[in-house]
Amino acid sequence: MKLNQLLLVSFAGLQFILPALAADETATNSTGAAQAEIPAYTAGGGTAQSGEAAEIEALKKELRELGQQVQTLQQQRDLDQQTNAATATGQIQDLDQKVRILGRQRELDQEAAVAAAKAAPKLTVGSSGFTAMSADSNFVFSLKGVLQVDSRTFFNDTAIKNNDGFLLRRARPIFQGTVDRDFDFRFTPDFGGSTVQIFDAYGNYRYQPWAQLRVGKFKTPEGLEQLQEDVNTSFNERSLVTDLVPNRDVGIQLWGDIHGGVLSYAAGIFNGVGDAQNSANAAVENEVEFAGRLFVQPFKNSDLAPLQGLGLGVAGTSQNGTSNPRDLPSTTGGTLPGYATDGQQQFFAYNPSNGVVAASGEHWRLSPQAYYYYGPLSLLGEYAISDQEVRSTFNGARADLHNTAWEISGGWVLTGEKASFAGITPLHPFDPHNGQWGALQVVGRYAELDIDNSAFPVFADPVRSASAAQAWSAGLNWYLNKNLRINASFSHTTFTGGGGAGTVAPAIVTRQPENVFFTRVQLSF
Amino acid sequence: MKTFFKILLVGALAVAADAREIKLLNVSYDPTRELYQDYNAAFAKYWQAKTGNNVVVAQSHGGSGKQAQSVINGLEADVVTLALAYDIDAIARQAQLLPADWQKRLPHNSTPYTSTIVFLVRKGNPKHIKDWDDVVRTNVVVVTPNPKTSGGARWNYLAAWAYALDKYGHDDAKARDFVKQLFKNVPVLDSGARGSTTTFAERGIGDVLLAWENEAYLASKQFGADKFDIVTPSLSILAEPPVAVVDKMAKKHGTTDVAQAYVEYLYSDEGQDIAGRNFYRPRDAKVAAKYASQFSPVKLVTVDEVFGGWQKAQKTHFADNGVFDQIFQP
Repeated sequence: MKLNQLLLVSFAGLQFILPALAADETATNSTGAAQAEIPAYTAGGGTAQSGEAAEIEALKKELRELGQQVQTLQQQRDLDQQTNAATATGQIQDLDQKVRILGRQRELDQEAAVAAAKAAPKLTVGSSGFTAMSADSNFVFSLKGVLQVDSRTFFNDTAIKNNDGFLLRRARPIFQGTVDRDFDFRFTPDFGGSTVQIFDAYGNYRYQPWAQLRVGKFKTPEGLEQLQEDVNTSFNERSLVTDLVPNRDVGIQLWGDIHGGVLSYAAGIFNGVGDAQNSANAAVENEVEFAGRLFVQPFKNSDLAPLQGLGLGVAGTSQNGTSNPRDLPSTTGGTLPGYATDGQQQFFAYNPSNGVVAASGEHWRLSPQAYYYYGPLSLLGEYAISDQEVRSTFNGARADLHNTAWEISGGWVLTGEKASFAGITPLHPFDPHNGQWGALQVVGRYAELDIDNSAFPVFADPVRSASAAQAWSAGLNWYLNKNLRINASFSHTTFTGGGGAGTVAPAIVTRQPENVFFTRVQLSF
Repeated sequence: MKTFFKILLVGALAVAADAREIKLLNVSYDPTRELYQDYNAAFAKYWQAKTGNNVVVAQSHGGSGKQAQSVINGLEADVVTLALAYDIDAIARQAQLLPADWQKRLPHNSTPYTSTIVFLVRKGNPKHIKDWDDVVRTNVVVVTPNPKTSGGARWNYLAAWAYALDKYGHDDAKARDFVKQLFKNVPVLDSGARGSTTTFAERGIGDVLLAWENEAYLASKQFGADKFDIVTPSLSILAEPPVAVVDKMAKKHGTTDVAQAYVEYLYSDEGQDIAGRNFYRPRDAKVAAKYASQFSPVKLVTVDEVFGGWQKAQKTHFADNGVFDQIFQP
């Protein structure tokens, strides 16, 4: 019998027994007097009373037993309830612990996953090219590139047959990176010209930002416009000033940026190359060239916003070479060393009537330079001296030729972006679906190059070579996004001297002003 | 022109040679955050008064084994203050960043303070945990870090093993079963001692935390003495966390002198007092006496006595496929 049922029966039983007992008591007490023990024997009724008393005793006994059973059952019920509660509490606590443990295990797993992600190498692809980097960033490899497709259209130069057209101006994959945190490298071949050339191939040790050592082939620290990255120049071609400064050379250079670039310095020893020359990757003589540059941006870290973009500097080179044609200027646009226009046509050559010219003796350069950037405004100016001792192989005549050039260029970003030496990034990249057109910049430049009169006639033919050139240029640059740019510009160059008979440069070039319209589509990443 | 370039070079270097703040990196084990926060401030003040130079000490904390591996992998620590000598030996052996006899360079085997392993239990000790035997009961949940990454966990493990050896008459098989049962009671393995404290004290997991003595006292202080009780077992292990200058890195950074002074200052009166205040047992007898009352007496055994040294203990128990890998199944 179940506990509840037993209790019900017991209570039910008590329902009957207790009233009976009360009635008995009531009957017994109905006379109102204290009841005395009635003797068992009365006339004829003693046996019936004793029978009832026995029955009552038995019922009382049964009742007591039932009461005890009820009490026991109650106690048992209470005990069971306590046990169940304790069991339930224990189960809840166990479950609580399990939940906490699972939660903590999940936390630890997440921490481990974050740590593993931190240790994993990173691969990024974006506007800055393709980059793979170790988790600690001590090892980096980047693949970048430059592709420049130009067009040149010359006007009023019917005598010159092969200068109009499209050309692959630069096609350079750039491999650069870092090993062991402090050692950088860069390798840049160029497939754009008629022959493959190596432009950059160097290693750089970064002891501190203010103390770095570079070894290999890289730009000589000289011309300001030359030092600007090819993808960031204002025009398709650099100005006449760049005719007088070296391009890239092989050597070793100590350099650095102090206080975040407030002062930059470079001091190096190189093989030595002629004006505008790109080194042939090996020394051609024993004498080395010393090169150095100081550039200050005194307000770069100041609160004077209008002056933060001001930079001034001076650079120079010095070599005391023996007779070597590689020490003379580049042959760009011609067959002899000389100087070329914006259109890359040679207007001056070391082209004497007799013999050839050799560099012989000291060659030094000096270039004060400056730029200013403020908001959309950009200004750049430099002056260059290339002082070259030369010798005629015909009669041994010598001269110290002091050639000079200068330029001033400026630009204004019509769409309001900030201009900088490191280029322009459109605020609203080209997306015609959303009415965004990139950034637009107008640019202008004036430059002059003057050849020392002592060059004529022993070292250069005044009939064919100009003694000076003056060039002005104007253009429009459209920056579609960080990677794509389209240029259009016009250059007009006039000459002093030259223009005489001849079917090749420089005569054919200096016979009339050079008018050339450039376009460029540039992809860089 | 050549003179011009010489002047250019000298001038540039002269401008560059301005004074710089001295920075040190102290790579430490997990529970020493508070100790070195206090100590670094004191050392900086001392060094400023002595030399006039500012020294800024950066801290890195984590499981001792993990920290050692980080240094081996290139983390440029000027000093290491790890949980056990084996981890610094690993740095010397695998990365040759300091000499193999580094431990002889400072007093007391390069251990300026010691500690031991105790139990942190819930207030009132509801599971009645009095000694190591209680920790292996099936109804007890134990929190301890992973011996593969944590120096503290290795001390915990060896302390339990040492107790079992003492109890079972140096029977390794029984000791192994004892420790195996202990780890059956471990539901979560943090990578370091501080993580285990978080698991026990903040996440409310477990009945007992096997902890560095200093960590137990710190947890009690931080979370409230009304939350936990500290139980000192009948036998525990003398934990000797060593310190060392990482010679090659200090030389590279030009911080050799400062780094050497940094570890030496731990043995000074002030350094020892800071250790005592942070519940480590100072080596200096005078300072140790000052803080003696905050520690309970305990029978201590050493790694050398019981296990033949750290090299042997590491190889036997904690190397890949060692005893721990054999007895612990996650």
